Amino acid sequence: MKFLLLTGRTIRQGNAVESKLSPEYHDATSACFMTPFDMMDAGLDEGDAAEVKGPGGRVVLTVRADEHLPPGHIFLPYGPYANQIITPETHGTGMPDYKAVSVEVGPADGGPVSVWDLMEAMGGVPYHP
Amino acid sequence: MVCPYCACLCDDLDVTIEGNRVTGVDNACDLATHKFQTGNRLPGPIRLTGKGWTGIGREEALDFTVEMLLDADRPLIYGWSTTSVEAQSHGIHIAEEIGGVIDATTSVCHGPSILAIQEVGHPGCTLGQVKNRADVVVYWGCNPLEAHPRHLSRYTTYADVRKTESANVADEFLHLKPGGDYAVLGALRAIVRGKTDFIPAHVAGVPKAQFLRIGEICKGAKYGAFFFGVGLTQTAGKYKNIRNAIELVDELNRHTKWTLTPMRGHFNVYGFNEVCTWATGYPYAVDFSRGMAFYNPGETTAVDILARKECDACLVVASDPGAHFPRAAVEHLASIPVVQIDPMVNATTAFCDVQMPAAVTGIDAEGTAYRMDGVPIRAKKILDLGYPTDSAILGEIYRRIRDERKVREVKGT
Repeated sequence: MKFLLLTGRTIRQGNAVESKLSPEYHDATSACFMTPFDMMDAGLDEGDAAEVKGPGGRVVLTVRADEHLPPGHIFLPYGPYANQIITPETHGTGMPDYKAVSVEVGPADGGPVSVWDLMEAMGGVPYHP
Repeated sequence: MVCPYCACLCDDLDVTIEGNRVTGVDNACDLATHKFQTGNRLPGPIRLTGKGWTGIGREEALDFTVEMLLDADRPLIYGWSTTSVEAQSHGIHIAEEIGGVIDATTSVCHGPSILAIQEVGHPGCTLGQVKNRADVVVYWGCNPLEAHPRHLSRYTTYADVRKTESANVADEFLHLKPGGDYAVLGALRAIVRGKTDFIPAHVAGVPKAQFLRIGEICKGAKYGAFFFGVGLTQTAGKYKNIRNAIELVDELNRHTKWTLTPMRGHFNVYGFNEVCTWATGYPYAVDFSRGMAFYNPGETTAVDILARKECDACLVVASDPGAHFPRAAVEHLASIPVVQIDPMVNATTAFCDVQMPAAVTGIDAEGTAYRMDGVPIRAKKILDLGYPTDSAILGEIYRRIRDERKVREVKGT
């Protein structure tokens, strides 16, 4: 199903932003918020894994209900998960499109990978003390 | 003391310290309390070698950084939003010395706001004026309850594409369609100018009757304050949305007093714009490769340089592009040498060759930061944890770069 993606700050993401490898940060940033009606249409339940495909790539997230969103929209907190589907095109301004991005959402197997796994998939080397 | 989390720079926090540890924080929001109590500091410098991560000494970390920056043809220096203006000043000197590009997190938050301000000016004010004088406050494209929790002391109108908790406490909620900001701001401008006949029944989902009502509220204010967030800067139209907001405020000033302030995010992201403007004439995204300061957002901004795979080395200071840049931009970091100066292990650590921990400005380092309204405030040092400050590390890197350049000039290398 097609949706319009919005990204933004949340207090849970902000609280954990200094602890990027914590379970709190993982949970706060790997969520995909949708209205309960949209969840029903897409065949998704609270806590299900969903794959979000956008112009910059794809990512698996955990579905969370948010009845305040407008229908047809999903909301992703700022962070490495949202950035998997954002393109670096800035239209000559330096600023990528983080709002009102057209994406596709559907059921997925498994669940969101860890922040380190995301970084490793981009060529990074996780730090383990 | 001063809070080192967001650009509100709340200066009335009471922090309790026992045994060189923060045990209590009063008057703070949830975000600040978490920052004061975060304890996952990187103990010392680390380096990635063929055998994995190893701890190294500070001398080795500094030598690696100096050599990396001097050997690069197109070095990028990025970050700066959670450190002091003193450290930012050293960063700009380093960029000039090595002919590199320096950019700040501004380019992915309120860079478009600055572009609009450069076109049509900034009708600003201090937060003190808003607190003491404003009788109408508009928040547009921001969610202060989650991003700037203590900002919300007065409230009337709220405009956004999501009905957030912030919207629930507003007297009016303008619920507009995503990407409709420019049109809605334009409709409000027309109404304030008295051109109501031009407005259709709905604009971007907002009914005309609400426009008329809000127009009257705004014109009837004794002192109005317009705050806006990245909901305007990160959506289609970018800086043109802000230009329309500034011109709405201009229009309102023909009737009464109105001001406009960007809701800047990190606690000293505005400071970088101030320091960079004093030093170079430009607020961010400055390229010294021509031997002079050159500024062209879209070309000299960090996301664009990384996405074009243009830079061949990167120094990251007090930010985390690994978590906050689009995937294609981050992937380039994996193919070039990267040094990070940051107190914590973060997503960018995975792309580093070397990371040096520094003291956190406002907790174990003092330093000056600029509040979102442009007021400089001195943040105190309240703990002594033995880490060097960003300013000390960057000052030393600058000194060694100058010395090494002289040595290389003598050798002719």
